[in-house]
This record gives sequence, structure tokens and C-alpha cells, in this order.
Amino acid sequence: MTELKDRIKSVKKILTSPDILTFEFSGADGGKFAVIYADGIVDKQLLGELVIKPLRERKGICGADGIKAALASPEVKDGKNIKQAVEEISDGNVALFADGEEKFFIIGLKAPPGRAVAEPPTQIAVHGPREGFTEDIKVNSGLVRKRIKTEKLQIKTLKTGEKSDTAVAMVYIEGVCPKGLPEKVQREIEQNKIDLIPDSSYISSFISKKPRSLFKRNGRAEKPDIFCAKICEGRVGLIVDGSPIAITVPYMIVEDFQAGEDYYSNSYRATILRALRFAAVLVGLYLPALYVAAQLFKAQLIPFRLLLKVTSAVQGLPLSPSIEMFLTLFVLEVLNEASIRMPKYVGLALSVVGALVLGDTAVKAGIISTPAIIIIAFSAICLYTVPELVETTTTLRWIFLIVAGSVGPFSVVALSAFLISYLVTEQSYGAPLLAPFAPIVKSDMYDSLLKANMYTLDKRPRSLKSNDKVRLKTNVER
Amino acid sequence: MLNVRQVSLIIFMYTAVSKTLLYPTQLSGISGRDLLFSAGVDFLIQGAVVWATAYLISRTDKTFFRMLADRFGKVAARVIFGFFAAFFLFVTIYPLFEQKSYVHTVFYDNMPMLPLFLPVFFFLVYAGSKNFKNIGRCADICLPIFLVSAAFLLATGVGEADFSNLLPVLKTPVSKVFSGALATSYRFIEPCWLLMFAGNVQKSRHTAAKITLSYVAAAAIVLFFLAVFYGVYANLAPSRHFAVSKISLYFSAIDVIGRVDLSALYALEIVMLFALVLNIQLAVYCLSLCTGFKDAACLSLAASAVLAIILIALNNGFGAIEKFFSSWAWIAVVLFAVAAPLSAWAIRGKNDT
Repeated sequence: MTELKDRIKSVKKILTSPDILTFEFSGADGGKFAVIYADGIVDKQLLGELVIKPLRERKGICGADGIKAALASPEVKDGKNIKQAVEEISDGNVALFADGEEKFFIIGLKAPPGRAVAEPPTQIAVHGPREGFTEDIKVNSGLVRKRIKTEKLQIKTLKTGEKSDTAVAMVYIEGVCPKGLPEKVQREIEQNKIDLIPDSSYISSFISKKPRSLFKRNGRAEKPDIFCAKICEGRVGLIVDGSPIAITVPYMIVEDFQAGEDYYSNSYRATILRALRFAAVLVGLYLPALYVAAQLFKAQLIPFRLLLKVTSAVQGLPLSPSIEMFLTLFVLEVLNEASIRMPKYVGLALSVVGALVLGDTAVKAGIISTPAIIIIAFSAICLYTVPELVETTTTLRWIFLIVAGSVGPFSVVALSAFLISYLVTEQSYGAPLLAPFAPIVKSDMYDSLLKANMYTLDKRPRSLKSNDKVRLKTNVER
Repeated sequence: MLNVRQVSLIIFMYTAVSKTLLYPTQLSGISGRDLLFSAGVDFLIQGAVVWATAYLISRTDKTFFRMLADRFGKVAARVIFGFFAAFFLFVTIYPLFEQKSYVHTVFYDNMPMLPLFLPVFFFLVYAGSKNFKNIGRCADICLPIFLVSAAFLLATGVGEADFSNLLPVLKTPVSKVFSGALATSYRFIEPCWLLMFAGNVQKSRHTAAKITLSYVAAAAIVLFFLAVFYGVYANLAPSRHFAVSKISLYFSAIDVIGRVDLSALYALEIVMLFALVLNIQLAVYCLSLCTGFKDAACLSLAASAVLAIILIALNNGFGAIEKFFSSWAWIAVVLFAVAAPLSAWAIRGKNDT
């Protein structure tokens, strides 16, 4: 079947959607050609300049090799069969058929709509690079290649999603990444068959050994500099087409307390900030629970003078301390959820309504007390100092609040011990979640809650079991 | 597998925290101002057994069960491990009641206690089913919690202590010093923990020295704590229960900023819970080898259920339990925490490393 019409017909028989376009044209010698592509995801200007124009203008094109030589596009490969042509067209590439030729060509002219490289909203940096990943896997891979130029860098593309056929780029450095880890990750991805992969969080669940756990098992990066640093430590990274958030494994909880900027600023300042983040998360988690427990079970937990203030503030309240705190937290969560979903300007109005109407008026009406609002607001702010852990910490805050309100401060302590007991043996691809604290890995401590200067961090993290241990060699004595 | 650091931390922290609640009160009631000597006797005897056991585990790859099975056969080993499981459950009874009273005093102003304490069994069942790796890593994570809270409590207490209250020394009759040591000996079961770790500790240099030193460090902390406690309360010490919650009470800043010591006490309670659950974990380990039943969760549930039933049945009988343990528990301690570790030397076999 070498008739052009037949070839077009067989493709269109499978790809019946009207956005699959066919353009037929004649070459300078009168030969007939056709390009088939999906509208909206192909760069038509390049198609015209690199494919159609050369074929129309060049004389003496002879055979399949001649056609290939005439094309000005750098990304041309031979097509095998109609099934492959259909897959490539769906993927955003162009299929070129010539009348009388058995062979056809796949030309990479993918240009899906997307945004430009910009600073991600959750990882804003005062110092350091401001580039962030976009939804385009090619752009993201390029951002990685721009930073890691070693020949050992591997970017292996996998396909997943039965219907979406989403590309997942597995990034690692050979020799640095522990042996067998990329294969392990690949196996985990390939074991799952799902229709659609709309975001990297799906892949995140697939590669997590315990997807039902409250604690995540892989790191996330929205910025290529952070992503590349993690790859250079020996991790495997996954960039998913359509998602601006890349995934890295193995993962340790301490990673979330490390901001990218810590590495671009003074190490003393970075250490203080890390300690601050850690303290803030503890305060954000425990403060509402302990406040309720103190009011209900152990008033001595609150300093005496503060207790006098609290007592006068809660006097005459119709709700019990735990219900009051529960309600205040509920309002905060609702406001939080609504302000994210609502249009920007309505969200602004909502903040005013939340702060003034619900806050001020509720206090004046004697429904909730000022300390409850202060504690919940402060707790929310504290937890957002480590945004990567917010999903976990906000859930834990509810749990702590419930047990503190029902069983008292001892339950908070027992639950903490329970969490420690659970977390100490959990791991992500061989790295303990609580490393370098449990088990204690002395050398990794220098980049945990402590941030030593770069000369101290001359070795890759031991917890990651990298094959290449040294990352900094210097002849300068310091 | 545990590493030597983790074993040392277990010995260091859990030895210290398990002797900070009613132990000082009890000891000062029997030995008066010479309580340090009573404690010293126990620490000396058990220190020697700890060293012997630590030396043994540094010289063998065999578990204690293997040693017994090789020498006496598997059936005998299983029976002996059944006794060990019972022993570990037995020695958990007193700390469990002690914890219950402590929690009542320190965590609540005025509440009916038992229902509020029972949720601890969720933790005991869960953590009790965990393996040696978990025990070691919990010890790792407890280290900063223990160091910070213990340092805070000792630092806030030491300023108020009048150490001349401990003078003159050795005026108490020697018999009382020894009966103090004997009556509180059921708190000294550390060699038994070490014996169970045998064959599960990674090889390292100076294993015995490191473990023994950590025991010495724990002993030093406990003795210092006893001295501070008696220095603060003197003759009132026998009526001051839960010493750890009392030594900071006269710290001047507490009047101004409130009971900040409570946050240290709550943090220390986490370490105390891990010290408590260690006995259950070892009981589950022994039960598993005794019965051949591998489901640690079920065994932990069973062990915790037994303890929960005892706790509920004898809810108001802490006085009687204390009396029983003070009078008779030393026999079990001599058998399981002194004789058994020492006899392990005789049965350890020849294929040691």
C-alpha cells in the first residue's frame, strides 16, 4: 500500500477526531506529499519552513533517502507502521507521507501550548536562581541539561498512562546514583496501569511503597537548581510531562527543612533559619493541642499571669475549650480552602470578611476567645514555614487536637512516641525517613538542621548510599 | 541488627530515666541521707554484670537462644525463653503502675485516672511488636530529647540543692543501706536487656568498654540526681513522690514564667515510654522464640493485654504491688538479671569469633 490516498485513509480511519489535520502538497518535481498532524500542538511555522518549503522548492528529490535529505528539520526518524504513525501524531509529532514510497517519516515539531520559565510561587528565592520548572518535559529536561553537563547524566524517557501516554523523564547520574535504583524506580512506575497521568503526584503515589501513609516517601522540587543538587547527591529524579513539580527519591524528612536559599547564603544564618523552621513546625503542631489540654486538664501548663488573661478572655464563653479550638481551626481551614479556590479579587474580599467579620465579630459576640484565634493563626503561620510538609502537619494538627481535647496532655505525649516509633523504621528506597537522626549518621548531620559551610560538606550524604562518595575536592587548606 | 552506639544509648538513657520517678523517694525512705550508697551498691553489682554481659556479646555471634539450644537442646531453650518472657512482663508491672501514678500527678490536675491512661496501650501494642532495628533507632532519636530535658531539669534543680543535707555520710546503719539496695534491686535489669541483644549487635572495637561506660554515665546521672533531690528536700524526701517532677519546683524563674519544667517533663516522658516498652519488646522477642509464633503484632497484643488486665484489676493496689516488689522481686532479678547473664559465659560454646 504505497498510494498516498490509501495511507492517509488508514491513518484517518484510526484518528477520526477533526483536529487531526492533513495537508497535501506537490513537490518541485510534481511528486505528491502529505503531512498529518494534530492541530494546536505542532509548530506550524516550523512545519512550513523545515518540511513543506524544502520539498516544494528542491528539485531532483529521489526516493526515501532523497526526501529525508531534503528536510531541514533536525529531528527526523523513519516510521515503521501505521500504528506508530498514529502514536506519534497523537504525541504532537508530524507524519510525512510521499506518494509511491513505502517509507514515511516522523518529524519532531512538537510545540504544545505552555507557559514560559518563571519563578515558582512556593519556592521564591532572594538569592540564587529564579528559574522554575514548567509543564513541558522538554523545557524541564533542558533546564536540567543546562546545569549538569557531564556525559554521565542520563535522561531516560518512560511512557505511562494507558490513554494519556505521558512521558516521564528519569534523571540520574551514572556512578553517583546507587546501582539498581533507577531500575527499581522504573519497575515501580511500569507496574501501574492507569488511564491518565495528569500530574507528577500520580507517579509519586506509584513509586511510594506505602501510598496510604500520612507521610510522603519522595521529595519534590519546583526549581531546577534544587532538583540538580539532589541528583548530584545520588538521587533519581522524575520529570513528568504536564507537571511543573519534579520528584526525587530517596527522600528524607529533613530535606523539607532545607530551603534552596540555605546553600546560597551564610551557613550561620542558614542554621538559624533551619532551627527556626523546625521549632515553628513543632509549635504549629503542638500549640493548639497543648492549649486545649492545659485548659481542660492541666492549667499549670500556662504561666500564671498568662493564665489570668486567658481566664478572663474565656469567661462566659458558651463553648468548651476543645470545641472552641476545633471550631476556630475549622473556620481557618474553610477560609484557607476558599481563598485558594476563589478568583483573586473575591479572595481578597474573603480575607477581609474572614479577618473582620468572623474573627473580630465572633470575639465581640463572645462565641470564641481571642487566645484561640491567636493560637490558631500563629499555628497556621508556623506550619507554612515548611510548605512541603503542610499536607502532613495540618492533618497531624487535627489529630493532636482531637486527642488532646479528649484524653489530655498525656495522649499528646503518647501519640508523639507512637509517631516516633512508626517513623524510625520507615524508609524511602533504602534511605531512612528520619536520617540522619535515626539512625544517627554523624557526617550527614552537617547538612540537616545544622548547615555547615561547603568545605565541611565535601562528601555526599551517606544515607543515600551513593557509589561516588566525594563531591568536593580542594587543595586549599582551610 | 543494633550497633554498639545504639546499645550504649539504650543502656545510658533507659537506665537513667527508669530511676527518676519513685526510686529516689523509696530509697530516701529506707536509707535516708545515705541513699547514694544504697544506689551505689546496686550500680556496682549490676555494673560488673553489665560489663561481663557486654564483654560476652562482643565475643559471640550467637544469640542467647542459640547458646541455650546448642547446649541444652531446643526444647529447653524454648522453656527458658518462656520464663524470660514472663520475667520481662513481670518487671514491667511495677513501672507501668509507677507510670500511671506519675501521669496522674504530672499530666492532670484532678481527673479519674485509669481511662485516661489506658490509651497508652495503643502505643505499647504497636511499639511492642517492633524489632531490634526499631529499638535502636528509637534510642537514637531519644538522645537529644533526653539530653535537653535532663540537663534542663538538673540545671534548674541544682541551684536549690543544699548538698550538706547528705552529710554526715554513713551514719545510717549498714543494714539499712543494704536493705535499700535490695528493696530497689528490681529496677536493675539492664544485664538482661544486654543478654537478649546478644548475637544482634554489629561487631565493633571496644564494645564492652563503650557499653560499660554508658552504664557508668547513667549511674553518674542517677547518683547526681539523687544527690540533688535529697539536697533540695532533705528529710521531706521520703514524702516527695516522683522526684523528677519536683526538683525544679523551687527554681526562681518558675514563679515568673510558669511551670516551664513541665515541657521538659513531657519530653522526658517520651523517653520513659520507650524505656517501658523495651521490656514488652523483649518479652515479645522471647515469646516468639518460645512459641515459634512469628506474628509479633499478635504477641505484642497478648503481652499488652495481660498487662492491661493486671493494671485494671489492681488499679488501686499500687501500695501492695510496691510492697511485693520491694520484698520479693530481688529473687527474680538475681535469677534473670545476674545469674543468667553470668551463666551465659559458661554455655556460650566454642564457635565464638
